[in-house]
Amino acid sequence: MKVSFQIKLFVSLMAFFSVLFALLGGYYYAEVGKQLYQEMSGRAKIQAEEIAIIPTLRNEVEQKDIKAIHNFMQKIAERSDASFIVIGDNRGQHLFHSVFSDRVGTTLVGGDNAEVLQGKSITTIRKGGLGISLRSKAPIINDAGKVVGIVSVGYLTSYLDTITVNKVVNILIAAVLLLIALFIFSWFFTRSIKKQIFSLEPREIGLLVRQQKAMMESIYEGVIAIDDNLRIEVINQAARKLLGLSQPARELRGQLISQVIAPVPFFTLHTMLEKDTHDEICHFNELTVIASRVRIMLEDSLQGWVITFRDRNEIDSLSAQLSQVKRYVDNLRIMRHEQLNRMTTLSGLLHMGRYDEAIGYIQAQSEHAQELLDFISSRFSSPTLCGLLLGKSARAREKGVELRFDPACRMDKPFIPLPEAELISIIGNLLDNAIEATQRAPLPHEPVEVLIKLNELELIIEVADQGVGIKPEIRERIFERGITTKTRGDHGIGLYLIESYVTQTGGSIEVADNTPRGVIFSLFIPATGTARHPAQELEDTDYAT
Amino acid sequence: MQHELIDVLIVEDENELAQLHAELISKHPRLRLVGIASSLADAHIQLESKHPQLMLLDNYLPDGKGITLISNPLLARANCSVIFITAASDMDTCSQAIRNGAFDYILKPVSWKRLSQSLERFVQFAEQQRVWKIVDQQNVDSLYQLQAKNYRLDNGSKGIEENTLSLVQALFNEKSAHCFSVDEVVSETGLSKTTTRRYLEHCVEAGFLSVEMLYGKIGHPRRMYKRNAV
Repeated sequence: MKVSFQIKLFVSLMAFFSVLFALLGGYYYAEVGKQLYQEMSGRAKIQAEEIAIIPTLRNEVEQKDIKAIHNFMQKIAERSDASFIVIGDNRGQHLFHSVFSDRVGTTLVGGDNAEVLQGKSITTIRKGGLGISLRSKAPIINDAGKVVGIVSVGYLTSYLDTITVNKVVNILIAAVLLLIALFIFSWFFTRSIKKQIFSLEPREIGLLVRQQKAMMESIYEGVIAIDDNLRIEVINQAARKLLGLSQPARELRGQLISQVIAPVPFFTLHTMLEKDTHDEICHFNELTVIASRVRIMLEDSLQGWVITFRDRNEIDSLSAQLSQVKRYVDNLRIMRHEQLNRMTTLSGLLHMGRYDEAIGYIQAQSEHAQELLDFISSRFSSPTLCGLLLGKSARAREKGVELRFDPACRMDKPFIPLPEAELISIIGNLLDNAIEATQRAPLPHEPVEVLIKLNELELIIEVADQGVGIKPEIRERIFERGITTKTRGDHGIGLYLIESYVTQTGGSIEVADNTPRGVIFSLFIPATGTARHPAQELEDTDYAT
Repeated sequence: MQHELIDVLIVEDENELAQLHAELISKHPRLRLVGIASSLADAHIQLESKHPQLMLLDNYLPDGKGITLISNPLLARANCSVIFITAASDMDTCSQAIRNGAFDYILKPVSWKRLSQSLERFVQFAEQQRVWKIVDQQNVDSLYQLQAKNYRLDNGSKGIEENTLSLVQALFNEKSAHCFSVDEVVSETGLSKTTTRRYLEHCVEAGFLSVEMLYGKIGHPRRMYKRNAV
């Protein structure tokens, strides 16, 4: 079973404190005992020496007046905390014993009197009549300087031990109380740590950090985390690559975001505090990106932001690829559908034995397409434009709409003022709009008429449908971005693009109602582009006239 | 004058169709069939060994698409032209074939008439190349014309009819100082708007009319047509 981080931390804290206390206790116990012995032996010595110099006592000991000694000493013994006080004469005989008065006349126990009788004070631990004791002996010296007796003041070790034990018990109680306090503290401490690290085990945190690092480096998007002072905390490889930063990540850490990315409204503190944002188009150092910004909150206080961003061009190319795939799928569906229809008709004709009609039918299948192909390829020199027109025509047919090309169609050389991609975009969008408007109109669908004609002066593009037309309420605003009549898919962009392309080249657009219904878009783009090549304008005017 | 024969290679994996093409070619007095290839790899080998001048190329082959062969340097070296044959719904591939300079492209199901015309045109094309020793602009234009599908470039192809044109022109001759919008011309002539535009623009191109822009209060400028001073 795995023990959780909290329990582990708690147990180790407790074990550490217990061992610490046990060691401290042991040391203290030994120290206290030693100190007590020293202190008590000093005390015994002083008492013994003090008693030994009392003049009355000295006389009485010299004269061996036992009664007088007893009376005098009894008073002293009563006031002393010593376990016993003994007075002996210079032959080692008891003259007084504070505990056992019957010992008077007997020899002193212990056999350590020789040094004392020579005039020295000593302190010893000996087994005496009362048991093991710490005692101090001092000589009683008469006026002539001769040792006449011995004073012995003693403390029983059992008494000393009791004092030590009492002290240690007090300490022990204090220690236990302290331990309990620590116990409680440790419990809350570990719990608060646990809470701060989201109940994760340290191993899990380590793993998370690794994972986060790997994740940051593996993702294709740029990621930057900044703190609440707008300083960079984390920046991943992709972000540095997109922004073209050559410094390593650790050098960028701590820099202000404004030092790395030129200030844009996306990074003003006001907007950042206000709300998070998702997929916003903005410019980071001249790179158009799609960026998101998310606040990091920890317990209701702002810690910073995480910003992710992608290169918009990549997204554009992705969506272009996607629509390409969609188109292929669409094409396949059309082909299958048509093929089934043809086979059914053909098998019906063959069954009925109408062979000539069967042959005619087969020929007719490709006839129209072949005519269209021949027409388009002979009238338009641009293969891309041919492809577009053929493709749109095939798709329109599947949707039940015919594209009818005006016999005046002709574009046999490249049109310089307008890049081919824009030309394709203009024509494609116009055709799409016309086809969809026709589809939404009641049956039968009238053909969409297309005129694309390039002459010396200008390029004329006219697409006329008999579809649902433009609603009067948006009539004046159809070229604004986001205005649409479509009900599905992406829209509101096509006409906006067309208008911007055409006006940039100095062309004009006419929108007129068709009869009996529908719209005619007429685009006139001068062959001498103005907006695109302002410098050439003057020279070209000469040439054109 | 003795005509040389043009060597033709058929690249087609469907045997019956290949046989039909072969028959068509063998009936033609000026074409000679040199081989039938049923795969891309086979086509490569036969191109190398037989040096055809014309190839009928099918798009869908067992080991790849015929379109990949069109840009092959082998063709340029062999001076071999291509008539590309593909399914009618495969318009994108057609556009690619156009870009790579295929002589012609025929849609399946193949119209024999169309294929015969195309072969005939190629024979003329090859013939003229051989006959004309000196190249002048007229020759080049003629060759280019043959390659460009032989479309008639007279007035008819522009969709302009004399009657209608004079109807429109009459209007401007009447009121030569007046500026007409498309809508006004429509209401006067009774033509459809798209037809009217075509005629008006034809007149502008011919120098009969000129264009002025009328900037209204709202929306985009309108295009006004006016008779040019004679």
